[in-house]
Amino acid sequence: MLAVVRTGDAAYGMRVREEIERVTGRDVTIGAVYATLDRLEAKGLVLSRRAPVDGLSRRLFAPSARGARALAETRVLRERLWQGVDLRAVLALGGA
Amino acid sequence: MTLPPLPAVLLRALLPVAEREEVLADLGADYARQRAGRGSFAARLWLWRQVLGSLPALVGRTWWRGWSGFEPTANRMRPGGPIMESWIIDLRYAARRLRTRPLYALLAVLTLALGVGGTAAIFSLVRGLLLEPLPYAAEEEIAVFWNSGSWSEAEFLSFDRTFPGFRTVSAYRTEALTLESPGAPTRLLPGISSSVELFRVLGATPALGPGFRPGDDVLAAEPVVVLSDGLWRELGADAAVVGKRIRLDGVERTVTGVMPPGFWFPDPTVRAWVPEPLDPANRAGNYALVGRLAPGTSFEGIGGPLAQITRRLGEEFTYGAQWDMTKNAEVTPVREFLLGSLRPAMLATAAAMALILLIACANVAALMLGQVDGRAGELAVRSALGADRRRLTQQLVAEALVVGVLAGAVGAVLAAISFGLLARALPLGAWADSARLDWTLFLAAIVIAILAALCVALVPALSLRRGDLRGGLTRLRTTAAGGKGSRMESGLVVAEVALAVLLAAGAALLVRSVSKLYAIDPGLDARGVAVLDIAMGASTTPPERQQVLARLLTELRALPGVRLASVTQKLPLRGSGDNWGFAVQGRPDITGVTTAVRLVGLDYFETMGMKLKRGRTHLASDQPDAEDAVVINQALADRYFAGEDPVGRMIGGGSQFTERIVGVVGNAAEAQLTDDPVPARYYVYVEAPTYTPENQTLVLRTTRPGDAAAVLDAARRTVHRTAPGVAVREATTMEQVLAEAVGPARQLMVLLALLTGLALVLGAIGVYGVISHFVERRKRDWGIRIALGLTPGRVIAQVVGRGTALVAAGIALGLVGVAVLARLLASLLFGVGSTDPFALAGAAAALLAVGMTAAFLPAWRASRVDPARVLREQ
Repeated sequence: MLAVVRTGDAAYGMRVREEIERVTGRDVTIGAVYATLDRLEAKGLVLSRRAPVDGLSRRLFAPSARGARALAETRVLRERLWQGVDLRAVLALGGA
Repeated sequence: MTLPPLPAVLLRALLPVAEREEVLADLGADYARQRAGRGSFAARLWLWRQVLGSLPALVGRTWWRGWSGFEPTANRMRPGGPIMESWIIDLRYAARRLRTRPLYALLAVLTLALGVGGTAAIFSLVRGLLLEPLPYAAEEEIAVFWNSGSWSEAEFLSFDRTFPGFRTVSAYRTEALTLESPGAPTRLLPGISSSVELFRVLGATPALGPGFRPGDDVLAAEPVVVLSDGLWRELGADAAVVGKRIRLDGVERTVTGVMPPGFWFPDPTVRAWVPEPLDPANRAGNYALVGRLAPGTSFEGIGGPLAQITRRLGEEFTYGAQWDMTKNAEVTPVREFLLGSLRPAMLATAAAMALILLIACANVAALMLGQVDGRAGELAVRSALGADRRRLTQQLVAEALVVGVLAGAVGAVLAAISFGLLARALPLGAWADSARLDWTLFLAAIVIAILAALCVALVPALSLRRGDLRGGLTRLRTTAAGGKGSRMESGLVVAEVALAVLLAAGAALLVRSVSKLYAIDPGLDARGVAVLDIAMGASTTPPERQQVLARLLTELRALPGVRLASVTQKLPLRGSGDNWGFAVQGRPDITGVTTAVRLVGLDYFETMGMKLKRGRTHLASDQPDAEDAVVINQALADRYFAGEDPVGRMIGGGSQFTERIVGVVGNAAEAQLTDDPVPARYYVYVEAPTYTPENQTLVLRTTRPGDAAAVLDAARRTVHRTAPGVAVREATTMEQVLAEAVGPARQLMVLLALLTGLALVLGAIGVYGVISHFVERRKRDWGIRIALGLTPGRVIAQVVGRGTALVAAGIALGLVGVAVLARLLASLLFGVGSTDPFALAGAAAALLAVGMTAAFLPAWRASRVDPARVLREQ
């Protein structure tokens, strides 16, 4: 979902995939992206519509209101969980 | 840039229609960038990683979409996608529809399962027994010589073990071996006595030990034995058994080999093979010859070598007309020789099961047709909303597949149950215990069920293609008086009845045949006679055996419930036995003749219920002295003493006439039940002190006819107590022997009769279903006619008449096919032609009765239609 938000307007499947690859530095398959976007839409967290982009009819994604709220709540929750956690100690655990 | 074809095809197959073009275009653009930046090879690698990595996610998505029915808003104007998705949707829908119609689902699944179960069971049996490779190397090179069981050691050895056209040949015969183990009762084992080449001919190597070695079969060779895997396991599965000794037939034999599991020859009951010390002077014909063809020789080209063999035999030996080994020389492939007798019954059963399956399929197809007809309105609405015929057909096929898979599962269980029943019910002889259930049966059940279901689905699918779907909308409120669907349904029932006629005719033919066999007078009274086959061991001498027999008969006569006891070397109805030369004093015209000979005990004829016609039977005073007392049968008297009284005449075996005929008894079936009476003469065994075979049959007549089976246990114990070295091979009753003599037709008759019953039930269901639909569709018509004065009786007559017309058409069609199928049964029939009119009339009458009964209930319902209610509803 974050990748959809980051991609911004005209967020279609291939652009979302490229954004994820660019940020994470890892290969992502187009099939995995579409499968995930379908599930998100079925859960009502994203919406899709058809619009022409670069001469082709494309399925464009955007977070729904519910999805945006869920993103924000997740962010708050994560920050709360991180409060008081010493990152250096976490890294030390990972090194051992 | 366009993608290479294979990745493009894979992706197209798994992407929804609405997304295909954009994904392929974007992937193509990325691929072009990869090629430009990293080269062709790296770009292809990247592309394949994308495609193969996407497959699991796309397959999962397709499955999930089908299962949940999710369709994204953006794609709704361009529906459609992978075939798998629509199939999953249709399968779920079919399962839901079946749940809402449990009776139809149950009927369809059970009907198909019945057909599938029986077919899978017989398929598994046929595959295991008839199609499995024999446990011999290159079985197509092994052949069995003509006149099996009539070759002598002299004839075999006269060729110096080198037969033209054959790489190697062995002589073998069956031999019952008594196994003596310390602390256990003496047991009788089916065994084979053969020349040393046997395993070489078969191309079989023992799992342990060397087996037979050259020289094991010469006179005075050290006795050895090769065990079957089963016997080796029973004796403790000792890995060091080679070199150890066991006591067979009173002789210590060294074990020189154990055959591997799964090996058998000539049938699975044989437990041990012993080499026979072959005597070039022994001319008794007891052996079968089996050989492996020489390299380059084929069955087609064996004529020349066989001519050489018969020429040599003719030069070395003189043959009478009856036993001429130089005539009719031929060889039989070993598979045909060993398994040929199983084929007719198994193939007839396989054909019957296939018929049942076809009937079941026709039934389910008719049921589905009825459903399609009933859904005419729903299908019309779907068609108006855009569903094309392909999709509607796919739904029908999906429903048939669900029924098929369920029927396959139930059918597999039925197959496992009926496998055991079939193996016992079929006349498999020595192979009855070697039939094994395995996983192929279940696979067969599922495959047959799915194939049958797909065939079944063709019928309503065809009806859909031809029908006018949207026209159904306007016809919803009018009478659908028939149309193409109901004609197909009627056609299916006609076909079902035709197939049932085939089965019923086959069963009726066998019933007639078996009743004719039972009507043959065997010449004895089989009721109340207990039979014990005993083996006294080859190491006992004839005088010792006579003492044992005398002791046994005394003890057995004293058993409660036993009125008479006697003995014979060969029981009637068990096939031919000894033949001795025959001559009559004062009749030089009777030369070169042999008759059947039996050595029996006192009271033999009374015990067996054979009638005395003239003179007397044997007495205790008949002893071995100058004159032997002989009883002859009516056939001998008719052939050689026609018009005169044979009592008092002197006969003999050659030039000496030391035997006086003292009596004439009625003919008993001393050969096969269906053979003409053979001339036979009977001696009391004490008169032949040097010839008392080790294998004898004790016969006991009980005081009450029903008690024969009841005395068997006590008789067996008496034998063990009185003579511990004697093994009881079999304990049965004469009625059982008679039943077995009637032959495989009897067992097959029972099986076919059961299957016919099943076919009648299925046929009745089919007729009931079709007539019910017919009545339902014309309810409005009946309502109007009853309102106009048609009596209920006339309604019933018309409806039953329609049902009867269908059945009659099916019977007519079926009778045409009877001539073809009856050929399969021809070898099992006796006294009955394959188009016996009584049998066919019986089958037709049974089906007509069942069909009319099945049509009666819907007919009665039609006669009860309330015109006012029907007209109001419509």
